[in-house]
Amino acid sequence: MKRLIALLMAAVLALGLTACGGEKETAEQVTVRYGLSNAWDSLMPYNSPSGSNYTRIVCDKIYDRLAYVHADGTLDPRGAKSWESTDDGMAVLFHLDEKAAFHDGTPVTAQHWADTIALITNPDCPALGRGTFSVLAGTDSNGCAVAGEQLGAEAVDEYTLKLTFKSAITPEDFLLDKNRELYVLPTHLLADTEPADIMELDLWDAPVGSGPCKFVEEIPGSQLVLDINKDYQLGCPDFDQLVVTVIDKSNLLSSLISGDLDYYAFGGNLSMDDAETAKAGGIEVLEGEVPNTFYELMLNCETIPSAEVRRAIDLALDKEALCLQSTHGLGEPTATDVTPGTEYTCSLTWQRDVEGAKTLLEQGGYDGRTYTLACTSNRSGLAALMQQELAEVGMNVTIETVDSAALFSGMADGKYDMAIASHTPGALPLWFTESRLSESNNIFHIADLEPYTYYIDQIKSSSGWETRQVMLDKLQELLADQRPFIPLWFGRTLHAQSPTVDNIDYPSSSFSNENIWAWRMKEA
Amino acid sequence: MGRYFRRRLLTAIPVFFGITILVFCMLNLAQGSILDLMGEGSGATDADRSALAASLGLDQPLPQRYLSWLGGLLRGDLGNSYTNGKPVAGLIAQRVGPSLLLTGTGVVLAIAIALPLGVLAAWKPRSGWDRVASALSLVSFGVPGFFLCLAGIFVFSVTLGWLPANGMYAAGRFTSLADLLRHLILPAGVVCLSSVGELVKQTRAACLETLGEDYIRTAYAKGLTERAVMVRHAFRGSMIPVLTTILSHIPHILGGSVVVEQIFGWQGMGSLLFSGISGRDYPVVMGVTVVIALTVLLTNLLLDLVYGLVDPRVRYGKG
Repeated sequence: MKRLIALLMAAVLALGLTACGGEKETAEQVTVRYGLSNAWDSLMPYNSPSGSNYTRIVCDKIYDRLAYVHADGTLDPRGAKSWESTDDGMAVLFHLDEKAAFHDGTPVTAQHWADTIALITNPDCPALGRGTFSVLAGTDSNGCAVAGEQLGAEAVDEYTLKLTFKSAITPEDFLLDKNRELYVLPTHLLADTEPADIMELDLWDAPVGSGPCKFVEEIPGSQLVLDINKDYQLGCPDFDQLVVTVIDKSNLLSSLISGDLDYYAFGGNLSMDDAETAKAGGIEVLEGEVPNTFYELMLNCETIPSAEVRRAIDLALDKEALCLQSTHGLGEPTATDVTPGTEYTCSLTWQRDVEGAKTLLEQGGYDGRTYTLACTSNRSGLAALMQQELAEVGMNVTIETVDSAALFSGMADGKYDMAIASHTPGALPLWFTESRLSESNNIFHIADLEPYTYYIDQIKSSSGWETRQVMLDKLQELLADQRPFIPLWFGRTLHAQSPTVDNIDYPSSSFSNENIWAWRMKEA
Repeated sequence: MGRYFRRRLLTAIPVFFGITILVFCMLNLAQGSILDLMGEGSGATDADRSALAASLGLDQPLPQRYLSWLGGLLRGDLGNSYTNGKPVAGLIAQRVGPSLLLTGTGVVLAIAIALPLGVLAAWKPRSGWDRVASALSLVSFGVPGFFLCLAGIFVFSVTLGWLPANGMYAAGRFTSLADLLRHLILPAGVVCLSSVGELVKQTRAACLETLGEDYIRTAYAKGLTERAVMVRHAFRGSMIPVLTTILSHIPHILGGSVVVEQIFGWQGMGSLLFSGISGRDYPVVMGVTVVIALTVLLTNLLLDLVYGLVDPRVRYGKG
């Protein structure tokens, strides 16, 4: 027994002494430690079941995109140096950067881009998220290439890519909408593989891209080690390695303060509650100027069939109070999904009207039934406030706290009557409505989508800003009248600035791209 | 004895399959699947969802899916992860080591603290040792793991700056043992503190009970010193309940600690299980379940074996 205790004590002592030795610097390699609160799924960008921003922000490092999208909707060159509209707005020419190269040294050509699109739109290829390409000529509504039709992606010359669309679109609108889904693949390494077998390749375990970072190693869902691509066409940062680690959200800020992280995605997002802690810990806090979240109350139009009742819910909610509770002053209540600060506007305003809500409930024939409001656990306080506000007008609501998968599944199959959701807003007029008011994603259970799709199609096919704005106003009026969902507010965020890395474009991180090539280590 | 163990092994088989059926059904019947997590803004269409459902077999009836998974298991194939397509066995193999290291260190430290403290607390009731044991048990039982993690990070990482707040290595990979140990101290400390309460209480209670036995009085009557009575007789006599508690931690060691691993970004089985559940990655959850279920069943068998070694009074009957 004595011997056992002595052994144990020796082990503990040795452990303690070794630990006290401090960490040994590794051979002059400068590493930036990057935190992520959720795991990415696949490192093959067209095979991501979640299609989540976590996967996008990781693929953004390994693969190249055509452009870099700023939070305010402006664009910078990336894989493409410039772009221009052609064929009366039916096509766009992208002039690619001749300096771009894959991590194996092969230059990135227009043929790589065209072949990537041809591969992903090939119906035999089990790609996910190819709906992105449904805007291209020669594809169906799912983004699959149609046999016998010319696919709208071709290499005009070695460094000019031409994309042809089904309807006229400006290059800027196309990039704002689709850039984050468009990556160039090393198709020269895929030539001998059948499209059906593409996802089985070992290549995706150690991917070769042409982005600002090179793959080194991965512990799936937990840690990713990347080397900086020193030959990236836009330059490279002054560190050597980026280590992406999945850490619980509750430990991101403390890790930044303690110096165990250099930065965390997305843009060091910080709530107002944590701002003081960050400042006390010596972290500079930057206030975002561009809205980066849009909150909505999803409604089930099948179980709440009366537009009057849905409008009553809109009037009953105190969006001011809800917004304040959620953003602590970093948000603006809204009556529309049109993102403020963009070139499109909406004149609709919102005001709480309890009496008006009661009248509408009566007109809509509300029979006192209890509706189910679903929310994720971090929004249960918000849901409780909504419950109180709806009770004020006589509407009964029970709250169900679930995770995201259950929430969206429950809304899709009609189990829930309402649900709180948030999204990253876009600068385009249809950023929100186009995908949700469609047959393939009718999550609001709207019986007749035709009135909405009419305006959506009109907006999509209009070339001039004025015509689009007129049609957008009409769509917004229809939405205000029918209220299939309730726009709540647009929120901004605070950014916890990296204590060690400079030049980070914090706001643009919310849009799933980061200017890592411009990052610089701060002077010690 | 051999016959006894064969029989126990045979009864463990239906229990194991019962566990897998139960977990498989609960997982698949829970609201939401990976198809519901397909991003709305990612261009995922109904066709994509249908294609994914077909490729993952989610369009098949539940019994067929279970049988298909079971068939794979019997062939030694735990299937591929829904989210990243990698073999589940490989993912588990990558994570077992870190979990063993983290929870193993935590539990060994807890045993090293709890056994002497529990004996001392029983030996000298109402002494300082007893009070320390009670206070430690109170903290261990009363404070939730996640709070211990956050409090530890706040004190030792943020305020004092002594220990790292996350990860296994500073540079993302093994560079030195010192680096690994620095990262290990805080999470292993939380695991230790979470486990120590039960062990201290169990050791103290068992020792107290043994101290009232006739053979202890006989030992004193024979003129043995108090120390000899405690260590050679009382402690040994109280080993069975203490061993039960210690061995019951083995599945915990292998399965990892979900909360601790998640908060500290430790790349173990617990964080794998967490991401599997939140991502509705059924093969991953089932794979981890298989490992944990097998460990629990084998630990129970091991316990039976150890009882006999520790206490000669325990004999395995023929029938």
